[in-house]
Amino acid sequence: MKIRVKVNGRWYESDVEPRTLLAYWLREDLKLTGTHIGCDTTSCGACTVLLDGKAVKSCTVLAVQANGREVMTVEGLERNGQLHPLQSAFWECHALQCGYCTPGMLMASYALLQENPNPTEEEIREGLSGNICRCTGYMNIVKAVQTAARKMSGESQEALEEVAANGASAD
Amino acid sequence: MSEVLKPQFTGARVTRLEDARLLRGQARYVDDFEYPGTLEVAFLRSNRAAARIQSVDVTEALAVPGVKAVWTFADCPITLPDRPFQVGQPVLARDEVRFVGEPVAAVIADSRYRAEDAVEKIRVQYEPLPAVVDSRAALADQPRRVHEHRPNRFLHKTHVTDGFNEAFQSAPHHLELTFRWNRQTGVTMETRGCLALPDPVSGRLTVYAGHQSPHGLRGMLARLLKLPEHQVRVVVPEVGGGFGIKAMFYPEYVVVAEAARRLGRPVKWIGDRMESLLADAHARDAIHEVAVAYDDEGRILAVRDHVIGDTGAYAFPGFPGAVGEANWATEMLTGPYKIPHVSIEIECVFSNKAPLGPYRGVGGPIGAQVQEAIVDAVARALGKDPVEVRRANLIGPEDFPYHTPTGKVYDPGSYGESLERALALVDYERFRKDQEQWRAQGRYVGLGLCVFVEPSAMAESEAGSIPYEAVTLRMEPSGVVTAAVGTGPTGQGHETTFAQLIADQLGIDVKDVVVLHGDTDSAPFGGGTGGSRSGTIGGGAAIRAGQALRRKLTQLAAHLLEAAEEDIRLEAGKAFVAGVPARSITIRDLARTAYTDVARLPEGMQPGLEVVARYQPPGAATYSNGTHLAVVEVDVETGFVKVLDYVVVNDCGVLVNPMIVEGQIHGGVAQGIGSALLEELRYDENGQLTTTSLMDYLLPTAEDVPRMRVEHIQTPSASEGGIKGMGEGSLIAAPGAIAAAVSDALAPFGVFVTELPIRPQQIVAWVQAAKTEAQAG
Amino acid sequence: MIPSAFAYERVQTVEQAVRALQANPGAKLLAGGHSLIPLMKMRLATPTRLVDISGIRELRGVWKKDDRLVIGALTTHREIATDRVVRTHLPALAEAASRVGDLQVRNRGTIGGNLAHADPSSDLPAVALAFDAVFDVLGPEGMQTVPIDGYFLGPLVTALPENSVITAVSLKLPPSGTRSTYVKYPHPASGYAVVGVAAAARVEPDGVIDFVRVAVTGAGDVPYRAQAVEDALLGQHVSDDLIREAAAHAADDGSISGDLFASEAYRRHLCSVYVERALRKVLSRG
Repeated sequence: MKIRVKVNGRWYESDVEPRTLLAYWLREDLKLTGTHIGCDTTSCGACTVLLDGKAVKSCTVLAVQANGREVMTVEGLERNGQLHPLQSAFWECHALQCGYCTPGMLMASYALLQENPNPTEEEIREGLSGNICRCTGYMNIVKAVQTAARKMSGESQEALEEVAANGASAD
Repeated sequence: MSEVLKPQFTGARVTRLEDARLLRGQARYVDDFEYPGTLEVAFLRSNRAAARIQSVDVTEALAVPGVKAVWTFADCPITLPDRPFQVGQPVLARDEVRFVGEPVAAVIADSRYRAEDAVEKIRVQYEPLPAVVDSRAALADQPRRVHEHRPNRFLHKTHVTDGFNEAFQSAPHHLELTFRWNRQTGVTMETRGCLALPDPVSGRLTVYAGHQSPHGLRGMLARLLKLPEHQVRVVVPEVGGGFGIKAMFYPEYVVVAEAARRLGRPVKWIGDRMESLLADAHARDAIHEVAVAYDDEGRILAVRDHVIGDTGAYAFPGFPGAVGEANWATEMLTGPYKIPHVSIEIECVFSNKAPLGPYRGVGGPIGAQVQEAIVDAVARALGKDPVEVRRANLIGPEDFPYHTPTGKVYDPGSYGESLERALALVDYERFRKDQEQWRAQGRYVGLGLCVFVEPSAMAESEAGSIPYEAVTLRMEPSGVVTAAVGTGPTGQGHETTFAQLIADQLGIDVKDVVVLHGDTDSAPFGGGTGGSRSGTIGGGAAIRAGQALRRKLTQLAAHLLEAAEEDIRLEAGKAFVAGVPARSITIRDLARTAYTDVARLPEGMQPGLEVVARYQPPGAATYSNGTHLAVVEVDVETGFVKVLDYVVVNDCGVLVNPMIVEGQIHGGVAQGIGSALLEELRYDENGQLTTTSLMDYLLPTAEDVPRMRVEHIQTPSASEGGIKGMGEGSLIAAPGAIAAAVSDALAPFGVFVTELPIRPQQIVAWVQAAKTEAQAG
Repeated sequence: MIPSAFAYERVQTVEQAVRALQANPGAKLLAGGHSLIPLMKMRLATPTRLVDISGIRELRGVWKKDDRLVIGALTTHREIATDRVVRTHLPALAEAASRVGDLQVRNRGTIGGNLAHADPSSDLPAVALAFDAVFDVLGPEGMQTVPIDGYFLGPLVTALPENSVITAVSLKLPPSGTRSTYVKYPHPASGYAVVGVAAAARVEPDGVIDFVRVAVTGAGDVPYRAQAVEDALLGQHVSDDLIREAAAHAADDGSISGDLFASEAYRRHLCSVYVERALRKVLSRG
């Protein structure tokens, strides 16, 4: 079956079996291997991408369901060679170790901050509860999302460094 | 070298060099490699715990379009090594299946879709056999032997200190406890997988796999496929977590490699999550029957521990999991406490469950929980504060080197200091007062401690072990450095930490060091990553290699600057004469000279800048330590446990990169919370695994893990750089701390936790039973 | 894990969907897919054809009609959770929707798909039961309504007529002054309700309860109205003892069952605990 999907700003056309999962289509047909698969049961969130701007687990979406729609993957975060503030915050805060959950975490965090630019620690933890990380204990991921939120709302560099050094503020 | 280094990078929070590719989605894990013409494998796995295979009919499967081959044992008659217990796992089940998830047949097809379709069409006739699932019954070969030719009990050993009986019997008090740890597993977010291909240029066999020991994997593949070692190249690309399970050698790797060889095509297998939970190395699954003798002050005089470990159907080559679990747990049974006498008996059995292997900490988490529960039980029996009992038993600074009753020698650590610091961080006295008030309000808050000792960087020289690591360093003509190591990082940041150590030796920027690993064509032979050995042994080798290269640079600089070697300093990209910074030459110029201006080299010096160094630490192990302190609240109506506060005071010697160390601690604590409260692989009475997805094998999420506070103490080891290993300590300590906190919270109900994980419904049952008893009384 | 092969079509109208179902025995509707696709990946469901209704625009949205709140079948959990009308008039529904699964699941899952799938641990059925939900259904015979009473026949089995499509779900608004809530013990992995309780009640100024609804999900084969609890409360003066005594009947109307995470006894216990907690929220004054 023919589908046409806009991925990271560009339209792609492809002929797929209806049973092809969006995650596999992105990885195998478009070679966008940043989207990872970790569980099969919609549990781990490693495959999280944005579908029409909303975070979804792409292992539980058929590629044909994305036909005519817009997808954004981790490869679409960077702009003009500049890392997205979330990417740089993850880097500064050491929010990744093996890196396997990272693309999904980034995309879920991206969606979270779009809806709630100023989340509390509790809201971040709830918002990321569909994404499992086995390495970081989530501690630095939460810190990174807070740091990114501040970056994106244009807070001063000193305040940012303070957050990075001291961890989350109790807001 | 007499010169005192001023480290610029060692000890600093250097952000990771690995992260650029990972954050952009550009990193390549095994499944991300694609070669034209790749075939994919799907395995048919046993759905029985124990059965004789009467027939396997693959006719229909072979007829599925795109299927190239369907193999059973007859087509791939290879068996993993059977030493030392006379039990080897056939890579595809031979005549009999022995655990649910055991590979029975392999379909090799042009896509994984076709392969999975064909797996559904294989017909297997089984004759069911009684499953061995209870380890105590298994000891008596009940209901039967897992392997007909040998008893289920494959290991029995004892260790009793001289004078144990007298010390035990003459003690004024005794108590007995039985601990049970259920099965758990590492659950790497990236499942296991591999890709094998005949190298298009050399014709050698290249195998991509997420693995912790590239050379170990190569050696085993070469041996089983009967290939010369240099005809096999293992490439470990990015690995999505290891935690021990990816240190093992699995049958699937043989099938995939053999298929690539025989079919002459690239062949790939990527396990799904169900396969991962069924057939990745399982862990824990042990019973500890403990008896403790102690005096009025709470001093523990003697401990007896009888361990029954269940290793599943087969022993992993080189690492029979139950033996590893039991050995570590009992060798470290006395932890940081001065307990003079132990009596240990270990019995390990085969069963019809998946093979047990390593998971971060191996027996450490069990040992530490048992050790801390002993102290807490003694405190409770005597009506004493658990902190007081710890203080009465702790090894003090004056006791090092401390010889444990199990024959270990602890190098200096900060046992008491870490405990006191952790207590201060939560204001312990105040907590106890608050706790009473909360109890009066019906809130059950508890505090648990685990003062842990973590053996790391084991470097025993016995045959078969690899007590050293190697680093090759090459300074390129432009002055940048390419290093290669034999470790197998799976997220620990070796590319950064080793670069820090090397850069400091050479006076260059950390970003000018690239660390290669994982490719047996470029990496020097090494033992890989596991047992918290990479930082200490690999790091030691990095320092040694850096020193060797520095010597050559210094020699060259002294010659060119016409100064004495001992006056040369390497810093900030320059070699200069101490006290005369103007007399300098850039390291870049030194490198260029060494390669392309060889007439200027001192007499006798070889051109080029390339060294290899190997490092073996001086001790059999170095012991990290620390204290974990958990505060939990238990909802006694629902059994829900919430971790309110978590403090870690950690001592792993000299810190190379505190940011990375803290990250590892955070992750280990999260896994420890999972171990204590969530994670369980549960088999039913027929040996069916009932937890085969992440819907049933429960992992901690961001909502289950609290914010943590981490502090460091640095008691250097005698190893190069003063480094101690620390990859496992946090998972060793956290389950014990959480379990102790739950026991403390539920003390008013007389509850004392002895089984992990602690299930909410168990808590409710305990509390209800206590209430019923109180009413009856 | 890959589903077995099937045909796929995307329809633009509900009528097309009904015709597609009629023409293809073994066909199933696909909305968000978050209930169906996981089953298909494990090959526990093997539909021959999926009829994708997600593009039917008129099936989305929330509006008030007389004394009912009408919710288009394709409205997502997230849309319900954040909808101003829902939050004002039926806070229990917003609470339940906001606690379904996780962020990603709430973005995909729809109320129609959820109630049609009838997972016994799903959150929304409790709210639907508490507020007398009625389904607008288009089938081969045309439009009809299906009441929630008697709708849940078993796990994943409903009284929905064959080859029909839920177009909207309407919930009856409780009398003004009613307070409502949804509380649950979420399963640690799936977020599904191990036990979930929707409760609504109104207390007259003299302290007498003159309206009460309690429904329980997650506890057994099907979600149920806790009639015995309601009977114990209606017309009575609010008191701590009353709440406790009423909550003791929380499991009376259900056929409670156990699973890997929670035994039957534990679930019965949780029913009482959560009914009591829900009642305290809606009956407390202040």
